[in-house]
Order: sequence, then structure tokens, then C-alpha cells
Amino acid sequence: MIEPGHKAPHFSPKTGHGESCLLVFLETDCPTCRLAMPYLNRLAEQTAQVIGISQDSETLTRQFAEQTSAAFPVEVDSNLQLTRAYDPIAVPAFVLVGSDGYVKRAQIGFDKDELNAIAAEMGRRPIADGHDGVPQRKPGCSSRHLQPSDSGASPEPLNVYATRGTRASRIDISEDPYEYCIREFGDPLPVIPPSVERVERMMGGLDPAQVIGMIPPCYGEATVEKIAANAVMAGCEPQMMEVLLPLVRAVCDERLNIHGVQGTTHFAAPLIIVNGPVRRKLGFACGQNVFSNVARANSTLGRALQLILRNLGGARPDGIDMSTLGNPGKFAYCIGENEEESPWEPLHVQLGFRPDQSTITLFAGEAPHGVSEHFARSAKGVLKAISHALATVWSYRACMGHEALVVLGLEHVRTIHRDGFSKQDVCEFLFNNTGVPVRAYDDHEGGEGMGQMHLYREITIDGERCCQKFRSPESIGIVVAGGGAGKFSAVIGSWATGPRGSQRVTYPCP
Amino acid sequence: MSITLVNPCNERKPTASVAPRRQSLAGATVALLDISKPGGNFFLDRLERLLLERYAVARVTRVTKPTYTKPAPEELLQTLRSADAVVEALAD
Repeated sequence: MIEPGHKAPHFSPKTGHGESCLLVFLETDCPTCRLAMPYLNRLAEQTAQVIGISQDSETLTRQFAEQTSAAFPVEVDSNLQLTRAYDPIAVPAFVLVGSDGYVKRAQIGFDKDELNAIAAEMGRRPIADGHDGVPQRKPGCSSRHLQPSDSGASPEPLNVYATRGTRASRIDISEDPYEYCIREFGDPLPVIPPSVERVERMMGGLDPAQVIGMIPPCYGEATVEKIAANAVMAGCEPQMMEVLLPLVRAVCDERLNIHGVQGTTHFAAPLIIVNGPVRRKLGFACGQNVFSNVARANSTLGRALQLILRNLGGARPDGIDMSTLGNPGKFAYCIGENEEESPWEPLHVQLGFRPDQSTITLFAGEAPHGVSEHFARSAKGVLKAISHALATVWSYRACMGHEALVVLGLEHVRTIHRDGFSKQDVCEFLFNNTGVPVRAYDDHEGGEGMGQMHLYREITIDGERCCQKFRSPESIGIVVAGGGAGKFSAVIGSWATGPRGSQRVTYPCP
Repeated sequence: MSITLVNPCNERKPTASVAPRRQSLAGATVALLDISKPGGNFFLDRLERLLLERYAVARVTRVTKPTYTKPAPEELLQTLRSADAVVEALAD
């Protein structure tokens, strides 16, 4: 991101009418951006120059400005031209430009002290009361320009909030450190004691007090040092920090809504999907036994995330994490896509990243549900078998509200690809052929999903009237993984989805 | 054997404190918060009647969260702050 002292790109002193001017980069669906709006309005009402720069369309931007009663102009950044020039890693991003056209302050995320400092620097009264019920600080969402493949930007995972946290305390013990750690801060399996030397080696010279995120639901401060201590306990090698830091940012993205995922009575746990060259570099398993205990990288990254959620987020499985039956993925839930043996473009390329970029994707999912199909000889035959499993996601008769991830095994992929199907064709076929027969709703007792039947779309599958299971083909994600032998795939059901539930997020690794 | 460990847990102290307890509900404004889970309204309908009939509550305010999956929005919390007491219906 642009730093103080640099000339502000595409900015003429005329824009600021000879005064300093605050540029605010924002996204219309970012809850933190919405949270910041009343404070920015207060600044604009004191006649300060504030300009919003929206990364979304004209329509969404107009709606956003209306809904938030914006007291200052909110411009659309077409093609993200300004965003690319200022290069914020997250939104909201605040850039204060002096009357001379040079950047005076640059800040990412919501921070009341910082907002008041900006107001003071603009010669205005404070705008953020420390005791108005709104949190002191709140992380934002990933900036849109980091998503497309042609961004050319190099994401800097550390400079996210530009705030420094508190150093971790030291604990001197004289008893067996393994027993101590299991009792005080592990999952119930043994951990490697986070000794000062091991944690320092894990940090590899990074700033220990740098805050990477605040982990819901208790909003513990995830400093580099705290993340490293949990990574040591999970058994990570120091190189893993290059994936773990963006992963912590991703898990704090409000679109994932880890606050809800960690508190729900449902089965959901965040599944990590790793794409790109980092899989080979750090040894992530993508083949045989991909969901199990096959590689140190998968197991330790998955476990490090879970320890962070528990130790820093406070979602203890005997307390705030209220899951009725839980999920074995809460020990570790991490797979790599088998890009080398897949005939299709991998998940991150589908989402607009370059093949040579690495990414981590988080999906709040149930445990994998296996689908065996050893007899079908065609793409349609294999996909039909998978569609029957997909029809049971969440609850058989509940349609339109949930999503699924389909992890296709290699033998199934070969059969499907041989018939000329692309990944998109697979999604569309599954979308058009997954449904619940209308006769299943002929039940006087009622049941989950039946009350909303009038909202469902009716389609015909193999001559039978059915309610269509999913909202759109995009509700079905496709990942290729697993070993070369066995005609198996897996279906992973989602938690509540959309803006009111959990949305899948993908972050680049530097 | 002696070893120094780096504390891997959240060390931020909670800043919220418990509001003073009321001795009686008579004459109070009570907010009933429905988090939008199925069935929450049945429970709160009954509770509203009991509060008005048996506890001489002056006024009952009904508030509904847009979704149970996310924290309550700020405007909703502001409404709750104006009440003397709040009862939240948490689950199905």
C-alpha cells in the first residue's frame, strides 16, 4: 500500500480544494466499511473533504451511499484503476492526502483512535467516541484488486492493520511441559511446548507485535508472536508462516463469518483448500488419503488454524463452540487440489488468480460424505450418483438455502473428462440434475424445508417432478483431489450461506 | 526441568461488566430479543404475556435480529440499551 511521504497518484490539489482530503477505499458488501460510515459522515459534516472510492458497480455504490446516508461523494473506481495505484490490501482503507498532494497517513481497517487522529490532522473535532458500543478496532475485507489474475500486485500479508498489539506473556514452568500444555492450552492431543526459542525460530525475524487479525468470537489479538506460538504447538515448520499469516487474515474475513461458524450447533468447520506452487514447496498432500493423516503440511496447518481459533478466538469445544455432534475436521481439515493430475483449471484459476500464484480458500463445511460409483461408464452416470448425495445436503427436503463442495476423485474425473465435460459443465449438470421429488413433500406431519416449498423451483429430472436443490450452478464448488485408485468422490455440505451465513473466501499467499 | 513458554492464548481482559441487577420488574420496560431461530416467537409471546400479567411490567419491546448467524447490528443494540432489562431467546 502507498506510504506516507509519497505523491498521491491521480490526485490534483484541486480535488481537495486546497485542503487536505481523505480518500476512503471501500466495498459495498464489507461490514467494516459500513461500520465506518457514520464516523466518516461526522467528519464530512464538519466540512472536511472526504471522498469514498467504491470498488463495486455504479448500482451497488448508489445503493450503498443511500443506505448509509453518505454525507460525502462516493465515486466508482472503474477497473479498479485508483485501487491499483494506491494498492491497499484490505478495505476500508484510509489515505489522507495533504494540500500539497502528498500522502500524510495511510491506514487499513477500522480503528477509532486512528479515525480521531485523522480528524485531528484535518483540524476537526474527534469523530469516534470510545464508549459508543462499537468495537475499538475491526478488521476489514480483502481488497478486490487482489482477486483478479492481472492485478500484478504483490500482497503484503503483514501490513494489514498497521497496528501493533501486545507482546505475549512468558510462562515459567518446572513441571513436564508436555503435560502442562495439554492441560492448559492444547486440543486434547500432545503439542510441542511453545518455548521462547522455538517461537522465535518460527517468526523468522518478523515483527512479533504486528497484529494480523482479531479472532472471533472473543476477538483475541492474533499477533505474529501468538500465531507463531500456536504454529509451534501444532508442529508446523517455520516456512509454514507464509501460508498461516494469510490464512489468519482469511479466517477473519467477515464474509466467512467465523463468528457464527464457531458458535453454531451445526457440524461446520473451516476446510482449508490449498492451490498453486506452495503445495509442492511446502509438501501439501493432494493425492491418496488427502483428507487424512498423510502429510505434515496438511495436518499441521489445519491443526494450527484450529488451535488459533480455540486459544485466541475462545471457541472452546466445552463452551462457546456449541456444535451438537462436532466434526473430526476440528483437529485438522486441510487439503490440496491435485492440480497436476486434473485436466481442468484449478480452483484458484477459476476464481481469477494466475496459475503461478498460490492461494488458500476457506469453506465452512461438514465432514466429507463419500460417494462410491464403480459401475457407471459415462460422465452422466458418475454425476448422477453424486447428485443423489448432493440432494441430501443440510436436510433432504430443504432446498435453495445451502451449498456444497464436490471433491472429485481422479478415476471419476477421467470418466467425466473423457465425455468432454469441463468443470463448468460439471457444475451445470449437477445443478440441473439435483432435486428432491415433489412426492417427498406429501407428508402431513411437516418437516424441515417443507414450509418454504412455495419458494422452490420445480424442474423435471428423469421424468419426475422435483424441487431444484440449489440456487445456482455457483452453489456447487468443484475440487479435484485424491489418489489414483478407487472410483470415489465426496460431497461436503455447507453451513448457512450467503451474506447472512458463511461465504467461501480465497486469499493469495505471497 | 525448567522451561519458559510463550503464552499462546488470548490475554486481552474482557472490558464489559455486568449491569446492576433489578430488585423488581414492576414498572420496567423489558425488551424481548428474538434472534430469528424457528420457534423463538412462541416462547417470547408466552413470556410477554406472563411479564405483563404477573410481574406488572410497564412495557414490553419486541426486537428481532436479522439473522441468528451474525452479531446484532448496532442500531438493534441501541434499542436494547434503552430498556431496563432484556430477555434473549437463543435457540430453536
